[in-house]
Amino acid sequence: MEIISLIKQVPDSTRVKVDPVTGTLIRAGVPSILNPYDHFALEQAIKLKKEHNAKLTVLSMGPPQAEEVVRLALSLGADRGILLSDRAFAGSDTWATSYTLAQAIRKIGKFDLILAGMMAIDGDTAQTGPGVAQQLRLPQITFCNELKVEGKKLIAKKLIEGGHEIVECIMPVLCTMIMPHEYHPSYPSFMSIYKAQVEKPAELWSLKNIDAEIKLLGLEGSPTRVDKIYPPVSKEKGTMYNGSPSEMVEILIQILKEEEVI
Amino acid sequence: MSSVDLISLRLMLNSLKQYWKKNLSLDFLQELDKKNEYPKKVIDDFYDPNILGVNYLLIPSEFGGIGGNNVAVYQLCEMLGRIDLGIATTAFATFLGCDPIRVGGTPEQNAKWMGRIAAEQMIVAYGATEADAGSDLLNLKTRAKRVEENGKITGYRITGNKQWISNGGVSDLYTILALAPGGASWFIVEKGTEGFSADKHEDKHGIRLSNTTGLALDDVYVPVDHLVGLVEGQGFVQAQAVFGYTRLMVAAMALGVGSEANETAIRYAQQRILAKGPLSEKMGYMHKLIVPHAVNLEAARCFIDRNSKRLDEINEGLQTEGAIAKYFTTEVADNCADDSIQALGGYGYTKDFSPEKLKRDIKIAKIYEGTSEILQMTIQRDRWQEHLKTKGGFYINMAREMDAVHAKNPDVGADSASLCLKGLSAILEVCRTERLTRHQHVTFKIGDLIAKAEVSHSFVIAASQDKLFEGVRFDKETYQAMARVNARETAFNVILDGIKLVTGAGNVDAHALAAQTNLIQIIQKQQQITADMDLLSVKLCEIFNAR
Ligand SMILES: Cc1cc2nc3c(=O)[nH]c(=O)nc-3n(C[C@H](O)[C@H](O)[C@H](O)COP(=O)(O)OP(=O)(O)OC[C@H]3O[C@@H](n4cnc5c(N)ncnc54)[C@H](O)[C@@H]3O)c2cc1C
Ligand SMILES: Cc1cc2nc3c(=O)[nH]c(=O)nc-3n(C[C@H](O)[C@H](O)[C@H](O)COP(=O)(O)OP(=O)(O)OC[C@H]3O[C@@H](n4cnc5c(N)ncnc54)[C@H](O)[C@@H]3O)c2cc1C
Repeated sequence: MEIISLIKQVPDSTRVKVDPVTGTLIRAGVPSILNPYDHFALEQAIKLKKEHNAKLTVLSMGPPQAEEVVRLALSLGADRGILLSDRAFAGSDTWATSYTLAQAIRKIGKFDLILAGMMAIDGDTAQTGPGVAQQLRLPQITFCNELKVEGKKLIAKKLIEGGHEIVECIMPVLCTMIMPHEYHPSYPSFMSIYKAQVEKPAELWSLKNIDAEIKLLGLEGSPTRVDKIYPPVSKEKGTMYNGSPSEMVEILIQILKEEEVI
Repeated sequence: MSSVDLISLRLMLNSLKQYWKKNLSLDFLQELDKKNEYPKKVIDDFYDPNILGVNYLLIPSEFGGIGGNNVAVYQLCEMLGRIDLGIATTAFATFLGCDPIRVGGTPEQNAKWMGRIAAEQMIVAYGATEADAGSDLLNLKTRAKRVEENGKITGYRITGNKQWISNGGVSDLYTILALAPGGASWFIVEKGTEGFSADKHEDKHGIRLSNTTGLALDDVYVPVDHLVGLVEGQGFVQAQAVFGYTRLMVAAMALGVGSEANETAIRYAQQRILAKGPLSEKMGYMHKLIVPHAVNLEAARCFIDRNSKRLDEINEGLQTEGAIAKYFTTEVADNCADDSIQALGGYGYTKDFSPEKLKRDIKIAKIYEGTSEILQMTIQRDRWQEHLKTKGGFYINMAREMDAVHAKNPDVGADSASLCLKGLSAILEVCRTERLTRHQHVTFKIGDLIAKAEVSHSFVIAASQDKLFEGVRFDKETYQAMARVNARETAFNVILDGIKLVTGAGNVDAHALAAQTNLIQIIQKQQQITADMDLLSVKLCEIFNAR
C-alpha cells in the first residue's frame, strides 16, 4: 500500500498577533510549526504504515524553510519526503495550491490513500484537501478522525453534526482529518532525527520536477482576490454583578426596565 | 563539519522543549526539589533513544551516537539549563564522565566503552574531587596499587574516598582519578564492583534533584585494561585537555538559567500594575533590574557561540576562553537570578515563581568545574603570559581590530571597546613594572577585567556582522544597541576598576594613569547610553511578550 500525506508549515498561531494598524499578521519572531491537523493526520498515516507495511510519502509545498516540517515527518517515520518549492508557485491561492499538489502527486505516481489535514490553522479555508481530490478525480471523505484499512477498502469514521458516520470506500481515496480536542502531538527522539537526516534526505522539487501549465501556477493561476483582511471585532465585555439572589434579581429587573424590555 | 545540520538541531531542541512543556512543570520540579528526590523516570526518558536520547548527541557516531559539534552541544546545554540545572547537571555528568575515555582512551577502549555507553544507555559519573582535593586536585589521596603476575601488571587495586560526585549513587559506570605508581591516572569502574559503594545523597542548597554523593573505594580491583590510555600518569593531562570544552558547556547551562530568570522578570513586569502602570514602563526599574542583565547575557551568548565555533575548527584547546566563558556567564547569571527575585518583589521570594529556585540552582555553577576564583587566576595566568610574550601587544592588537570595525560600522561600540583594550594593556603594563601580580587579589581582579574586556570585544564583532548568528532573538538594531551599551559599560568599569586596583596596590600616579588610559574619553563615550537603555527596555518587552 502507498500513502501520501500532505503537510503544511504554518506560524504557531497561538503566538501570532494581528497588527492593529495594517490588519496583517505580525510574523516576526513567531516560530513555524507543522500544521497540527497535518501532524495528527501524519501520525494516523504512520500507524497505517506500520499495520499494513505501507510506504509513506509526505509532500509539502512552501518556501525553502518548509524543509523543516518535511524532515520532522521523516524523523517521525515517513519513508520519503518531498518539498515543492519554486518561485513559480509563490502567491498560490487554494485553487493553484491544489493544482500544484495534484501535479506533484501525479509525478509520484502510485498511491492508494492521500491524507490531508481538515484545514491549515493560518489559511483556515479547508479547501486544499477537497481541491486536490477534485483535481485527481478522486473520491473524498472529509472530517475523519479514525481510519481503518481492510484489503482494498478504507473505512473512515467521519464527524457530522451531533455524531459520526462510518463511511467505506474502495481505494484510492483522499481523506481530510480532524484532530481530537486533547491532542498532544508526538515528537521524534534525537536519534530518529539524526537517522532521518543521514538515511532519508528530503527531496527538493522545483517546477522542473512536475508537469504543470505555467499559467495555472502561483499568483497568475490564482483566481482569488483578497479584498481586505481584518481581525474580528472583539465582543464587548459583560458586566458582573455580585450579591444575594434577591439583590441580583432586583438589579436584573432594573436593567430590563432600563433597556425597555419590560 | 558536524554530523548534525541546522534543521536537525532545531528539531532536536524542539523535541526537548515539547517534552519539557508537557512533563516538567515548575510545580513538579519544585516538588522534587522539596523532597530532595532524583527523578528516575524523567532521566530514563532523557537517555532513552526512543523517547529523547539527549546523551547520544555527545557520543561519536562511530560508536552508535550522533556526534554533535560544539555548537549543537552548547545549544542543548543552554536549553537543559533553562529546563532545570539539576537535570542539566545529571546529563552533563555523563558527558564529563566519558571525557577521560574520549580524550585519553585507546581506540579499543573508546570502541568498547563508548559503544556500551551508547547501547546500554549508561549513566556515567566523573570522580575527581576528594575531601582535601577540590580546587587543589594535586592533593589527591586515592591510591591505585598495581597487581602483578609473573612480573606483568594484570590490574589495579584502588582505595580511597571521593566527594560530591554528580550521579554518584545512580551511575552504571564511573571514571575515577587515582594515584598510580606512575602518577595520577583515570580508571574505569563499573557499578557493583566489589568494594565500591556510594554514600547518601547530599542535602544541597540547589540542584537538589541532581544526585550528589561520596564514593568509597575499598581495595576495588579493576583489570589492567580499565586504566584509561593504558599508560599511568596521564590523569591530569587528560583532565586538563577538555577544560576548554567542558567550561564552555557549563557556561551555556548558566546562560540558560540566567535567560530563564531574565525573561520571567520581563514578562512579569508587563503584567504587574503599580502606580497606574506596568512595571515595564518604569525606567528606573528596567535600567536597574532587567536591561543590564539582558545585555550581559547576550554578551555571554555571543562569546560562547564564537568560541564553540572556533573549537569546532581546531578541535582542542581554548582553555582560557573556556575559563572566561564560564567565569563571566556564571557570575552574570547569578546576579541576574538574584535581581529577578527582586524584580518580582514578594512573589519572587516564594516558591510559586521560578526565580527563587533559579537563584538557588545557579550558585553551583560558580563552584563546580573550577570555582570562579580558580578561573580568575587561570585567566590572569594565561593572558599574563601573552602580555609578556607580545610586550603588551596582545590587547593592543585586539584594539586595532576594534578600530577597523569602528571605521566600517560606527554603531556597535567598537570605539569604546578599543579604548578599553588599550587601557587594559596599559594597566597590565603597570602591574608588570610595579610587580603587582605578587598580590593574589590583583591576579583575581585582573582575571575579572580581562574576562569582561574580551567578552565585550566578541560582542562588538558579532554585532558588526551582516547576519546575526543562529540563536540571537533580536533584530539588528536592538542587538547593536546591546553591543554599544555593553562596550561603554565595560570600558568604564574595566578602566576605573583597573586604575583603582593598581593605585591601591602599587606606587602609581593616578593622574598620569587616567590620562594614559583615556579615562575622560571613555566617560565621554557614555553619551546616549540612557537612550539606548530606554530602547532596550521597550524591545525586550516586545520580544518577551507577556501575551
Ligand atoms: C482569504 C485567503 C486569501 C488568500 N489569498 C492568498 C493570496 O492572494 N496569495 C497567496 O499567496 N496566498 C493566499 N492565501 C494563502 C493560500 O491560499 C493558502 O495558504 C494555501 O492555498 C493553503 O490553503 P489553506 O491554508 O487554507 O489550507 P487548507 O485548505 O485549510 O489546508 C487543508 C490541508 O491541505 C493541505 N495543504 C494545504 N496547503 C498545503 C501545502 N502548501 N502543501 C501541502 N499540503 C498543503 C494540508 O494537509 C492542510 O491541512 C490566502 C488564504 C486565505 C485564507
Ligand atoms: C553539587 C556538586 C556537584 C559536584 N560534582 C562533581 C563531580 O561530578 N565530579 C567531581 O569530581 N567533582 C564534583 N564536584 C566538586 C567540585 O568540582 C568542587 O567542589 C570544586 O572543585 C571546589 O572544590 P572544593 O569544594 O574542595 O572547594 P575548595 O577548593 O576548598 O575551595 C574553597 C574556596 O576557596 C577558594 N580557593 C581555592 N583555592 C584557592 C587558592 N589557591 N587561592 C585562593 N582561593 C582559593 C575557592 O574558590 C573557594 O571559594 C561537585 C561539587 C558539588 C557541590
